[in-house]
Amino acid sequence: MAEYSCLIVEDSPMMRQLLVFALARVKNLRVTEADDGVDGLRKLASARYDIIVTDINMPIMDGLKLVKRVRSDPVHKDTPIVIITTEGSQEDRQRALQLGANAYITKPIQAPQVIATVKELLEIE
Amino acid sequence: MSKDHKGRSGGSSDAPPPDLKKERDQFLQNFSKGARLTEEFIQEHERVQGRLQHLERENAQLRAKVEADDAVRELLGKIAQLERDKSELLSRFHEAEAVSTQFSERFHEVESEFANMANLFVASNQLHSTLSPRGVTRRIKEVLAQLVGAESYGVYLGNSDSSELVPIASEGVAGDRLVPLRLPDDSRVDEVVRTGSAWIDEEGDPSQGSIEKPPAVIPLSVDEKVVGVIVIFSTLSQKKKFDTIDFELFKLLGQHAAAALVSASLFVQVGRKIPGLEAFLDLSV
Repeated sequence: MAEYSCLIVEDSPMMRQLLVFALARVKNLRVTEADDGVDGLRKLASARYDIIVTDINMPIMDGLKLVKRVRSDPVHKDTPIVIITTEGSQEDRQRALQLGANAYITKPIQAPQVIATVKELLEIE
Repeated sequence: MSKDHKGRSGGSSDAPPPDLKKERDQFLQNFSKGARLTEEFIQEHERVQGRLQHLERENAQLRAKVEADDAVRELLGKIAQLERDKSELLSRFHEAEAVSTQFSERFHEVESEFANMANLFVASNQLHSTLSPRGVTRRIKEVLAQLVGAESYGVYLGNSDSSELVPIASEGVAGDRLVPLRLPDDSRVDEVVRTGSAWIDEEGDPSQGSIEKPPAVIPLSVDEKVVGVIVIFSTLSQKKKFDTIDFELFKLLGQHAAAALVSASLFVQVGRKIPGLEAFLDLSV
């Protein structure tokens, strides 16, 4: 059975813990955590990931800048990216999707929604 | 006899004697009659033969028709049996579908319960993962913002005689609007402090709330004594309703947040020294 790897980029330890709990429900998914965009890029440079789940509002480097950088990275340019944010407006959603995000989840997050989104993007039954 | 014959043929006339003539005529008459009858018989025979062939054809047709009817009856029987099989299969399919739906619903319920439990565990874990008052306050704010989806809120603690609630943390409200609350004042906050029960607007849209009309007021208790409140002024625009998990989170915050804050404050007061074993020796009950 195929094994997948996921990178969670989130500055809030609480949200990271919650996302790790949620994604532990996805079989054969290995999860790695990053504190912010810069830490995320560092981890992306050292390993290949099948999916990235990132917050938008983060110190040092926010999620949108991270999406831009990932899309210009030859290794991860096609890696699915899920954006998690407090912003619920249609404009924000459009902006994130235009930058290259594949899915957009608003806070407060619902674990089943996160699981379903990740499974769909990884095409896992 | 030959003499007679010779005598006759050698006579002066060939005309038969009258009795023979009569006999001959009679014979000829009979012969003609016989021939006629034979002809009629032959005709009748041909007619009967034709009729027989016609009847045989008709019979063959009827037999074929009966056979066809039997085949149709057989096919109809098969169709009826197939219909019964189909009904049975459909019935079994619907039963299986119902069981599958039941399992699916149960699975989603369990997944949802699991998610709620995870939320509560993470909130509780985070609240008690620090012994710094600032850290506890930050985590209370995170629970409110990240898990509940509160956009603006204030955390108040009461003074020693509970006559005033002072804001110690807030989000989404201008500093000058956040003032100490004098009690009693017949407000929702006052009611929550008096009764120790949370006030939550379960019907309205909490994203439309305000400082004047907060959609949720949660008491913070230590040992069943209300020492403060969390007032949610409004939620994020996408959060249109409080859910079951929110009520559970409010309960958790009410029971754990103040205790975590008090513990952190006491820990700071004793110079961040973890008590030795001696401090726990007399705790047995």
